[in-house]
Order: sequence, then structure tokens, then C-alpha cells
Amino acid sequence: MSTLVNVARYHLVDRMTFVALPWGIMAFSFLVNVVVSATVPTGPQGIYTGGLATIYVFLLASGALIMTRSLPFGLMLGISRRSYYLGTTLLVVALSVVYGLGLTLLQLIERATDGWGLRLHFFRIPWIMDGPWYQTWLTSFVLLVLFFLYGMWYGLVFRRWSVPGLVAFIAAQILVALLVVVAVSMTHNWSAFGHFFTTVTAIALTGVLAAVAAAMGLGGLSTIRRVTV
Amino acid sequence: MTPTISATALGRRYRDQIALDDVSLTVEPGIVTGLLGRNGAGKTTLMRIITGLEFPTAGDIRVFGQVPAENDEVLRRMVFVREEQAYPDLRVEHVIRVASWFYPNWSEDLARQLLTDFDLPLRRRIKRLSRGMRSAVGIVIGLAARAELTLFDEPYAGLDAVARQLFYDRLLAEFAEHPRTIVLSTHLIDEVADLLEHVVMLDHGRVVLDAPADDVRGTGMTVSGAATAVEEFVAGRTVWHRQRLGSRASVTIADSLDFAEQAKARAMNLSLEPLSLQQLLVHAAGVSADEKVSA
Repeated sequence: MSTLVNVARYHLVDRMTFVALPWGIMAFSFLVNVVVSATVPTGPQGIYTGGLATIYVFLLASGALIMTRSLPFGLMLGISRRSYYLGTTLLVVALSVVYGLGLTLLQLIERATDGWGLRLHFFRIPWIMDGPWYQTWLTSFVLLVLFFLYGMWYGLVFRRWSVPGLVAFIAAQILVALLVVVAVSMTHNWSAFGHFFTTVTAIALTGVLAAVAAAMGLGGLSTIRRVTV
Repeated sequence: MTPTISATALGRRYRDQIALDDVSLTVEPGIVTGLLGRNGAGKTTLMRIITGLEFPTAGDIRVFGQVPAENDEVLRRMVFVREEQAYPDLRVEHVIRVASWFYPNWSEDLARQLLTDFDLPLRRRIKRLSRGMRSAVGIVIGLAARAELTLFDEPYAGLDAVARQLFYDRLLAEFAEHPRTIVLSTHLIDEVADLLEHVVMLDHGRVVLDAPADDVRGTGMTVSGAATAVEEFVAGRTVWHRQRLGSRASVTIADSLDFAEQAKARAMNLSLEPLSLQQLLVHAAGVSADEKVSA
């Protein structure tokens, strides 16, 4: 366990990548949206932005960096690939708990101030992140972990198979999506498919996302097993 | 006693290239082994397999009696300093601090001392260091880790002669005070010749020499003097190299000479000069890979 904690500490030495940058970039995105909504006339519903996506996308990039830039020295430190991956995952989970709480608090403020006095919806996303605070926290946490692990998997695929691997990895994901589309079409299940997404509760959807995150984790863990640096 | 490293018929094949071929060797605890050979001989591949960074395609590798790959128990007992270690974008002090968390026998005093000796700027980012300074960071970690098995792979790329000497001195002092098993791969053979207790030489992925350094040092002698006398003296011996200049000749023979033979050479007015370890290994490398040099 102490080894895993040390791996987490190793990543935290570079606070820029995991602390300053994700929040800094999101703050910048938030400011841009504030200025826009203050200057452009807004309707009674206010403005919905996709600005919150910046932090998730940035964590995806951080995850990839952990597995490309930080891995060679990590493996010099007398640890197995497995420990490196699990220690990193420990950090990801811990950071996501804290970051998810941060996002939840910001959402509470946004609600209380009627969208920062501008009817701006930055931290509120209809349906999925618009429920009670604990639900927002849980969903944010799961999504943060998901993006982190997804980024880590990308980084590992690149480390192991380089650019051709990355291309194949992306192609494989497109194929999986295509297969789903074809399967649903062939079985004439589009109405059931749509029915699922219109009736599923946010909590149930979070459960689905958690399952996806677990799949990402297993994928990354099996990819790192034979990575060489 | 369990050997620190034991390789049995170890092989590593890349698509169209054989990096290691049927390598069997053991490294006993508490000695300094020189892993020598030309570029591409397989030294780095062997060390990468020993440290679990690379996977063999044939044979078996044991470190402290266990398979090293993905084995935390074994991995934490060794440190591997590589020629071109890639570091994340961190400052020197950060890299040293991180290393200190992972090695159970880490000596903070020694690390501080070495950082001062090598004149390393603690606050500078690793990527802003010169090549030599980056090598020095690796050396500091390698020595301060005080790992039971310490592997250095060409650890001094870009280091000047003074810094290299400092490294040798520190390595010796550390080895004397805190004995450990050291494997050192290098091209600068004469510089480390006095440190080595055992020599393993690879050529085209095969072991061509595996012997105590003292045994190796005894072999090989250059005999020079009047050509007729030289030829008479070396007749019937294994000749590695022959050079003639007018009436004088200089011939390198593979044998060691006992006291009587040396006296005989002197009586014939021949001068004898033992080969340095480096010269010996150059000759050993000249021997085709399928013919083992017996030392």
C-alpha cells in the first residue's frame, strides 16, 4: 500500500499538471462565459454552455501524460507496472473525490446566485447534473474518474504500440459504436434504445458510466502489463 | 547461496534481429561485474531483462532467485541507472526526493553529498540540464539508493573526466562501506579495469567471455624485439596479432607466460608487455562469436 501511495505522491510533485492547469483552464473558460453572458442579451432560460467539459477534457490529457511522460522514471523506481497503474488509479480516485466536491460546491453557488446573476448555466447540466448535491457529486466523481482512466489508456496504447496502435485503438472504438448502431437497427430496437435514455434516472446513468470507467481501468491495466520503456 | 542474477539460455528476439541468444550466466552476490561489449552487443537488453523492463522471448531469468518482471519484492531491491533515462518535467530536487521515497536503503546524507560533489543545481529543471549533468543525476540516485543490486548502463554519457573519476571513487568507497552487487556496463574499459572483479563480454547477443577479471588480466602478452628472436619465441603459440617494422617485430600472443618463460624472453633480449583489459577484450571481440574464449 505504501508503494501505491508513493506513486500517487510522485505524480503530485508536478502540481502544475494535476492541480493548477485543470482548474486554471476551467476558470478561464468560466470567465469567458461570464463575459459573454454579461454582454449578449439572454433569454428567460438563460445560457447553457458546454464550458464544464474543459476540465474533463483536460483530465483526459493529464491521464495520457501520466502514462507517457511520467512512466519511464516511474519504472526506474523499482516498482512493477501493476503498482504504477494501481498507484496512479489511487491518485485519480482521490483527486476525483475532491474535484467532484469542488464542482458540486460551484454548482450550489451557481444555483443560489441564479447563475452568477447572469442566468448562466456553467456548472449545471440539465438532467444529468441538475439534481441534489450528492447526486451531482457522485456523477462528477464517476465522470472525472472515467475521463482520467480513458486518458491513461490512450497514453498506454501509445507507449506500447505507438501511432499505429493509437490509430487502431480509435478505429476499434468507432467499430464498436458502429456495431451497436447496426445491432440496434437490425433488431429494430431504436425505440427501446430511445426509451432507455429518456426514462433512465440520472443515478442509473451514473451506474452505467461507472461500469464504463471500470472497463477503462481494466483495459489500461491489461495494456500496461507488457509496456516497455 | 542464491546467486544474485542467474540467466539460463536467455534469448530476446525482435522482429528481424536477435538481441540476445542463449545467454547463460550467474552473478554472485557482493561483487562488481563488468558487462562489456560493442555497441549493439546486447548489454542494454540483458540489463533491461534483469530489471524487468523487457521480457525475454526464450530462457529464464532469476534475480534473488525469483522472476523479476512485475515482482515488486524483487524490483525494490535493485536500482537501474540508464544511459538516457527519460525524466518527467521536474526539478533536480524533486527527482531526488521522489527516488528517496521508493528505495528502502536510501541514504539522504550520501545523496546530499553527491549532489554537492557533482555540482548539481537543485532548483533547475531536468530538461534544462546538460547531458553530463543529467547523467550525474542518475548516478546520484544509483549510489544513494544503496540497492542490493545496482546496475549502471553507460552511466556517464557526457560526463567529463573529472566527474567520471569522481564517480569511480565514490563507487569504490560506497562498495567498500556498503557492499552490494554491482553490474557496470561500459565502453571505457581501461578506466574501470581496476574496479572489476568479474568480466562478462557479449558479442552479437552471445556471451563470449565470462571469467574473473584477474584470470583475464593474466592472459595476453605482446612480445617485441628482433624479428628472428620474436618468431623463435612465439613459435607454437596462439598468435592474435603480428606487426613487423624492418628487422623488428611485435607479436601479441594469447597465452600467459610463467616465470621461466619470462626469464627466457629476457635472455633473448625480448621485451614483454601484458595486454590491458581493454586490449584483451578487443582481441576477444575479434574471435568469432561461436568460438568461446577460455580464460
